[in-house]
Amino acid sequence: MFLSRIVLRDLDSIDSPASMASSKKVVTRDEWERKLRDVKIRKEDMNRLVMNFLVTEGFVDAADKFRIESGTQPEIDLATITDRMEVKKAVQSGNVQEAIEKINDLNPTILDTNPQLYFHLQQQKLIELIRAGKISEALEFAQEELAPRGEENQTFLEEIEKTVALLVFEDVKNCPYGELLDVSQRLKTASEVNAAILTSQSHEKDPKLPSLLKMLLWTQNQLDEKVAYPRIDDFATAELKDPSI
Amino acid sequence: MPATASGGARPEEAAAAPSASASAASCMGTRPEELTARLAASGPSPVAGCGGSGAGVGAGGEAAEHERVLVLREIKNQIIGNRTKKLLYLRLGAVPAVVAALAEPGSSPAALVQAAAAAGSFSCGVDDGARAVLAAGAVGHLTRLLAHPDEKVVDASARALRMIYQSKLAPKFDVNNGKNMDFVLSLLNSENENVTELAATIISHSCENSSEQLSLCSAGVPQKLVSLFGGSMNLRDACLDSVTAVIRNNREVASRFASTDHGKGFRSVVGLIHDRSPRTRLLACLCLIALGHASPCHFQDKQIKTKLIMVLLELMEEPDHVGDEAPLALTTLIKDSLELQKQALTTNAVEKLSNHLLANSLETKRAVTILLALSELCSKLEESRSQLMSAEVSTLILEALKHDWADIRVAACSCLKNISRSPKVLSGGRLSCDTVIGPLVQLLYDSSTSVQVAALGAICNIAVNLTPRKSVLLHSGVVSQLVHLSKSMDPTLRLKSVWALRNIMFLLSPKDKDFIVKELTLSTLSSLICDSEHFVQEQTLALVHNLVDGYVESANYVIGEDGMVIDAIARQLNNASALGVCIQGMFVLANIAAGNEMNKEAVMNVLLPHRPDRIKPSFVVNFLQSKDKQLRVATLWCLLNLIYPKCEASSGRVIRLQTAGVIQQVKSMINDPCLDCKLRVRMLLEHCVDNADDCFM
Repeated sequence: MFLSRIVLRDLDSIDSPASMASSKKVVTRDEWERKLRDVKIRKEDMNRLVMNFLVTEGFVDAADKFRIESGTQPEIDLATITDRMEVKKAVQSGNVQEAIEKINDLNPTILDTNPQLYFHLQQQKLIELIRAGKISEALEFAQEELAPRGEENQTFLEEIEKTVALLVFEDVKNCPYGELLDVSQRLKTASEVNAAILTSQSHEKDPKLPSLLKMLLWTQNQLDEKVAYPRIDDFATAELKDPSI
Repeated sequence: MPATASGGARPEEAAAAPSASASAASCMGTRPEELTARLAASGPSPVAGCGGSGAGVGAGGEAAEHERVLVLREIKNQIIGNRTKKLLYLRLGAVPAVVAALAEPGSSPAALVQAAAAAGSFSCGVDDGARAVLAAGAVGHLTRLLAHPDEKVVDASARALRMIYQSKLAPKFDVNNGKNMDFVLSLLNSENENVTELAATIISHSCENSSEQLSLCSAGVPQKLVSLFGGSMNLRDACLDSVTAVIRNNREVASRFASTDHGKGFRSVVGLIHDRSPRTRLLACLCLIALGHASPCHFQDKQIKTKLIMVLLELMEEPDHVGDEAPLALTTLIKDSLELQKQALTTNAVEKLSNHLLANSLETKRAVTILLALSELCSKLEESRSQLMSAEVSTLILEALKHDWADIRVAACSCLKNISRSPKVLSGGRLSCDTVIGPLVQLLYDSSTSVQVAALGAICNIAVNLTPRKSVLLHSGVVSQLVHLSKSMDPTLRLKSVWALRNIMFLLSPKDKDFIVKELTLSTLSSLICDSEHFVQEQTLALVHNLVDGYVESANYVIGEDGMVIDAIARQLNNASALGVCIQGMFVLANIAAGNEMNKEAVMNVLLPHRPDRIKPSFVVNFLQSKDKQLRVATLWCLLNLIYPKCEASSGRVIRLQTAGVIQQVKSMINDPCLDCKLRVRMLLEHCVDNADDCFM
């Protein structure tokens, strides 16, 4: 919230004179940098933003080092990050049952209160069985475990149908629903798991930094229509590019 | 890896665990039947045989305990999230064995954690599961375990109790009992957030009546809950929900909450409507809405109310539960308040809701709640109605009428009902065309009663239409289905179908009125007048009222045919039925009394029957003494019509009325507080004098 407020305030101050002029107002690099210098951002706020990113994304070692170096306290117990990352890793490597059991050990209410997540984990389990070529096991699992979920929910039923369709094709990788076997499907499920665990720990499921960057991009686009100013095009370096006139 | 019976990987130690207590019945399988047997075998009774529980648990006891932890964990992992498995284990009778592990003094922390988690899961999402967990006495054991020295056991027990208290089947926690109140307070003061969250859940679940709310308020619970807003997001949400439960519909508690500490708690809640978490924003809005309804004088800030509307409209865009509930919260907020509906209109609520509806599938809970919010917005404001009647949205509403999902059909009917409150829309005839009437009439045949009721609501309003287009409705086959529904077992269906017939009957041509009576039959009409529900009786009499209104010959339906209908009316009036029934009954009689001599005599016989045993005074006197001015006016009109115009027969009736003490009663009403009554009384007495002149001089 901190950064965005500053950016918007700048937008305000530039907005009014620009709208009066018929052509775009030009802000030189010097002028711009002077304005930027006037904005005071507290170091601790920046650090908290970084810590929030590391914690949410699960970079536990980096978070710990950053804590020691910057003295920033993480919002949650770093040990819980390790648990969460283990669950995530289990899904990413296809060990769905292991992931389910770990989630239940962490907090048994998560899967009972998230039917959709539970279904996606079951679906992932079926996908892994199909990937491993365990056809009869896959069929049995689909019938016993997934079919009842499909009876409860129409959307689930459609998902089950797509997944089971994988069994029909010889060349599953190139069949219409082949993307289910893709690694991206595992990542999708893993990130859903990650979000659910974070929510159960009263933590926001998305880091703040990316949304701030999105806001910055949006603000620059808005500003582009009225002013020529030194833009940041490369977010990795945050280098100011001279305004083209 | 050991071979497994089914369902993927298992913890490796499952197969390796030796089972000292294993009897012949026990085996290492992980199928539900096998696990239930293993759990029973690892329970206290067999162990007591070989090692005994308590202090001296030997190696065999340890192994048995290990086995039990494994079994409990496996059962837990199978049932969490899985309704089918829960039902299966219930059938196998696993719940008492799971809860037994909680009761045993010798259970290890590991076993307690697993058993608590399993018990909590059984009570989630399956009513029979909750019943079984409660019957096995889990609440008592889990509550005791909240004082366990092991923090993990406390966490697990608190979570399990929370799951149990979220079930509607869980018993109320009697906070009026001092000891219980102390217990809740001790939970609220716990350092453990799982425990404080449990306290909030217990409060939300248990405070239903105002005495419980007052006790909680006097104990300072709302302030304590507000002080916990600073905790984690989940705790804050649970506390917000509890505050709402404590103040809901309770003026005193709400006003105390709003004024304690110069409104600190109130301001904290207001602050949360801008929280980062959408769920928190929604809960804060719901809390303020409850506060506003319970104690309007403490929540008059127009600005905050406008903010609430805007926040809720934004929340509609959020995924899942929050987005689904936001339109419902908006509906509750603006319900019955013209001011807030105007306010909502200025924030473009109709447009925003409609746009969301147009951009997304109808196949969602959100579409239902949005339609209901739109319906509420149209309940009073003409401008909202005309906005909603814009081409695109009205097409969508018509589409929703034919949707597969009953909830959507109900919501669409509700919209049409409120739009059709507009005389402008009605007289424009946009609703009385085949494209609307056709699907609505079709819904009268719906398999869902709530859809039928909703469709009847819309038809009722559209039927008031004064334009000649009423014939579209009449010839849509609606009458025969309404007649059919008026014989339904469901009283609401009877009420609404008769109501619709009443509105169709309003100002109809004699030919069309005859058509309806023929479809309905006089015998159905008489039985509806004597329906078991007074609101059906009232509507039926109103229907008769509309029938005889402006169509003198139709009185024959009422007094002819052996007087079936008028006898039914007489019976209701003599039985001193509900007020509405009496009023409508008197209007019918007044209308009939305006007819010819035969009609007047028929009415006269209802008012003052020729009976040998005239002990009971006429109900007319009672009606004239009624506190309700409408009933007095209706009765006075009836009397007036009976003695008008001046003629010999009228004079005879005056004498009969005089003998029965009716005129005496009328005379005493010369200064009736109701002007209308006063005027009729004077007219009546003048006529009496005129008639008497005729008679006696």
